[in-house]
Amino acid sequence: MKVFITGASRGIGLALCQHFLDQGHQVAGLSRGKSDLSHPSYRHFEGDVCSEADVKRVMRELRKDWKVVDVLINNAGIARMIPFALTPPSSARDVMDVSYHGTFTVSHAAIRLLRKSENPRIINFTSVAVPLRLEGEISYAAAKAAVESFTRIAAKELADFGITCNAIGPSPIETDLIRSVPKDKIRALLERQAIHKMGSFSDVSNVIDFFVRPESRMITGQIIYLGGVG
Amino acid sequence: MVQENSLDLQKVVLACMESLNLARDPDEQLTIDKEAPIFGQDSPLDSLGLVSLLIDIEDALADEEVEISLSDEKAMSQRHSPYRDVPTLVAYINSQLEQESAT
Repeated sequence: MKVFITGASRGIGLALCQHFLDQGHQVAGLSRGKSDLSHPSYRHFEGDVCSEADVKRVMRELRKDWKVVDVLINNAGIARMIPFALTPPSSARDVMDVSYHGTFTVSHAAIRLLRKSENPRIINFTSVAVPLRLEGEISYAAAKAAVESFTRIAAKELADFGITCNAIGPSPIETDLIRSVPKDKIRALLERQAIHKMGSFSDVSNVIDFFVRPESRMITGQIIYLGGVG
Repeated sequence: MVQENSLDLQKVVLACMESLNLARDPDEQLTIDKEAPIFGQDSPLDSLGLVSLLIDIEDALADEEVEISLSDEKAMSQRHSPYRDVPTLVAYINSQLEQESAT
């Protein structure tokens, strides 16, 4: 299987690259910086998910090398956890650009290679911040809400190509993204979940493996949150 | 316009239509002809079929190292659709290629 992952140089993206490589798949990653990951089946691209030129360049390379993409995982995202009144509009735009426009731009460019796959999959990342309407995360939650709408509508428009489009909304996981969030805020968030525990990477990969399985061909337009939120 | 002129765009379009027909029901076949309708009341192609055809054509051109986008907003909203028949689509692809080479 050929898997393309954005936001691949750290956190969940990096762990997902390793996860698919461990299963013997070919993986390509995209991130703004270099990757420390070195593996014969891994290829890294530096670029911006919001840049049509960067994304086209990557797809051109994948078209030459792979001919097909089986799984696209739109993991790239940035979180800004600050009160609305203190959020500079430019910061809100950055968050929307990477999460939503990045997902849109990469998915749009990848349709051509995905539709050549036997079991094509697009998997997006949302967050429990959307259903919980988390205060202090207005930009992040709004951008992820856009990703959810994208997921549901793309699922309908791409169904005739056999492409499924789903999203996972992880509950708090120990990654770079939430390292800066105060502990008491995380504790309060966990209290609002049905399962009051921090998630782990394997909770995320479990849902992604479910979406990817050939048997999941009838699963599309779905958002799965971890921790019993929603 | 150097590389583009060496391409027979009409041949590419007709080949993609033929290939699309392989996956279509017998009563929904596209007419393969250099004047044939593509999208509109004289054609059995729905909007999803049109998207498939345009992506096939983009792919066929990409195989010839020609990168082009045929599904832009302007074309979708044009009063006289450039997708209505083979001649208008070929003319539209040509104009897109000219624009690309001018930029």
